[in-house]
Amino acid sequence: MASITLKNIKKNYTKDVCVIKGVDLEIKDGEFVVFVGPSGCGKSTLMRMIAGLEDITAGELYIGDTLSNDLHASKRGIAMVFQSYALYPHMSVYDNMAFALKLAGTPKPEIDQRVKKAADILQMSHLLERKPKALSGGQRQRVAIGRAIVRNPKVFLLDEPLSNLDASLRLNMRVELSKLHQELKTTMLYVTHDQVEAMTLADRIVVFNAGIIQQVGSPLEMYENPSNLFVASFLGSPKMNLFEAQLVGVEQNAAVVRLPKGITARAAVNPGSAKVGDKVTLGIRPEHIQLVDESVAGAIPAKVDLVEHLGDTVLAYVEIPGVNEIICMKLPANMTGLKFGDTVRIVFPEQHSMLFDAEGLAFKRHR
Amino acid sequence: MFKSKTLTRALVMGSQYASLILFALFTTFPLLWALSFGLSTDGSTAYFFPQGFIPHIADGEGNYNIGATFSWFERVFVEIPFSTYFKNSMIMSTASVLGTVLISVLAAYPLSRMRFFGRNFIFIAIIATMMLPSEASLVPNYITVTTLGRWANSLQAMLGSDAETWRRFVGINSYFAAIAPSLAGAFGIFLMKQAFEAVPQDLIDAARVDGATEMQILWRIMLPVTTPSIAALSIFTLVNAWNDFLWPSIIMRSKEMQPLAVGVFNDLTGPLSGSQNTLMAAIVLTVIPVLIFFSFTQRYFISGMDGAVK
Ligand SMILES: Nc1ncnc2c1ncn2[C@@H]1O[C@H](COP(=O)(O)OP(=O)(O)O)[C@@H](O)[C@H]1O
Ligand SMILES: [Mg+2]
Repeated sequence: MASITLKNIKKNYTKDVCVIKGVDLEIKDGEFVVFVGPSGCGKSTLMRMIAGLEDITAGELYIGDTLSNDLHASKRGIAMVFQSYALYPHMSVYDNMAFALKLAGTPKPEIDQRVKKAADILQMSHLLERKPKALSGGQRQRVAIGRAIVRNPKVFLLDEPLSNLDASLRLNMRVELSKLHQELKTTMLYVTHDQVEAMTLADRIVVFNAGIIQQVGSPLEMYENPSNLFVASFLGSPKMNLFEAQLVGVEQNAAVVRLPKGITARAAVNPGSAKVGDKVTLGIRPEHIQLVDESVAGAIPAKVDLVEHLGDTVLAYVEIPGVNEIICMKLPANMTGLKFGDTVRIVFPEQHSMLFDAEGLAFKRHR
Repeated sequence: MFKSKTLTRALVMGSQYASLILFALFTTFPLLWALSFGLSTDGSTAYFFPQGFIPHIADGEGNYNIGATFSWFERVFVEIPFSTYFKNSMIMSTASVLGTVLISVLAAYPLSRMRFFGRNFIFIAIIATMMLPSEASLVPNYITVTTLGRWANSLQAMLGSDAETWRRFVGINSYFAAIAPSLAGAFGIFLMKQAFEAVPQDLIDAARVDGATEMQILWRIMLPVTTPSIAALSIFTLVNAWNDFLWPSIIMRSKEMQPLAVGVFNDLTGPLSGSQNTLMAAIVLTVIPVLIFFSFTQRYFISGMDGAVK
């Protein structure tokens, strides 16, 4: 078990292409931290640098209290689970899991005991004699995780371990990984591009984009208080609705913005130094937009474009005449009467509206 | 409708089999002919078609009937020191296969998997040697071998002995001299480099994280997953070494050191040679070990990478 400290870590693959542009992060002992970001943003690169598979161009990496920049991968006490599983095809499941222990010169009885215990935890004791090619995708992933467990590593690194599994298996494995972490209490670093995995697994989420950390925080905190537009639109499914708007009124604990066609909306934010006339972006999550009667003051008329029934919820895509953005609304499952072409009235509740300035940084929310 | 479908399938299958059988006949007919010749009493039917492909024995009254005799095969062992040649061929081929595989693997791994200055240049230089015809290296190699023999002698003399026995290990008439020039071949290095490059990087990284050194990665991960390429390289090297004639015939001056290809040629062809039947029997005997080796290696040609990565 160990903490991990990254101090201004940078990575250049070639002289002028900088993939990781200075990452500062402290991961506490026993924490489950999820790195999330779009494909190609450098998540794997960062992971591989921590694992010792890729040179660190600049900065300092501490595992525990040890400066580990130049420590060989095998000496770092980490175990890694690869997206591609990377099982040794010529070895049985047992030998796959025992490989690292054999290399380390562990006595045979202890190897046996540890492999069997890991197999037990992952419920694959009956697969130990098989070769990887005789396993299903989910079973292979278990072996890959088992291979990491047997070594009692200080840190687990998991690089998109579930993205090759089908949806239901992914859900199962997600739950199991969560349990596994509770059981082992080992520091885990988990990389994914799937924000649902991030939200459900993490103690803390690190949203990563273009080689820079966008925001670090607990899942709910990130969801409620995204620090910028990227985080706001990356977390949440369906995505947050965003509207280009202009600031027309500044109050102590609220801002008034105007959308095209003279529609105004209020957001409960602290306007800070913003001035009337500034360009801003109004953001509101699909589940927060309300469907109201005509009689309600300030209700905005809109036309239904598409209705999707998901069983537990209804997604309605509506359009306000004159506003370019299609608006997504998440409604309760009993709203089955809605259909294409209907005219509805919607309201953007003030306390759920977020505001972002021209640079994309969020205004502090007030409640 | 149904009938015509089965008919079409039968026709397709039939023509596929027919063409494959034709091709097999085309490639094996020299061997079949030699076998039939070697099993016949004499060569009188060998040059007729199709009788030439069926062994015939004489009945003593000038008639030839279908049948076979092993007497020429027995004669081979009487007329020439076949066992000696066979032993030499075995030693040289085995050493060639082991040496070539070892050198190719050790050279290909860094060329394919490590980053170092001048890697591409070195690889291109190795590949460039494939452009040279092998005859071009005969003279330089010969000079090298004789020089090595002289050095061995001088070294032995320097150490206080004048027995001149060390020359036998590296100079003319040595196994070493007969196989050394072909060990570090560009083909083997190229083949193994391609095979290593096809191994997913994740597999190597996984082993590295598991604590394996570069050598352990090579022997315990890379080699097992590239067995098809190693099997191909082994067979290719074996056939080349087994059939190599020119270089061993230059280096192996003494009869006791000659391999089959050289010995059979020297003893059984030419104006003073025995019957052609003995020659054919010897040729068949020479080919058999290679066929056996091939049948054993065949099962390694299945892919070794199944199940590694998704
Ligand atoms: N070995 C490499 N050489 C050069 N560029 C690389 C290499 N590996 C990754 N990259 C580049 O670095 C960026 C980040 O890659 P990666 O860390 O794999 O992203 P992610 O895992 O977030 O999808 C990508 O633009 C990719 O093209
Ligand atoms: Mg990746």
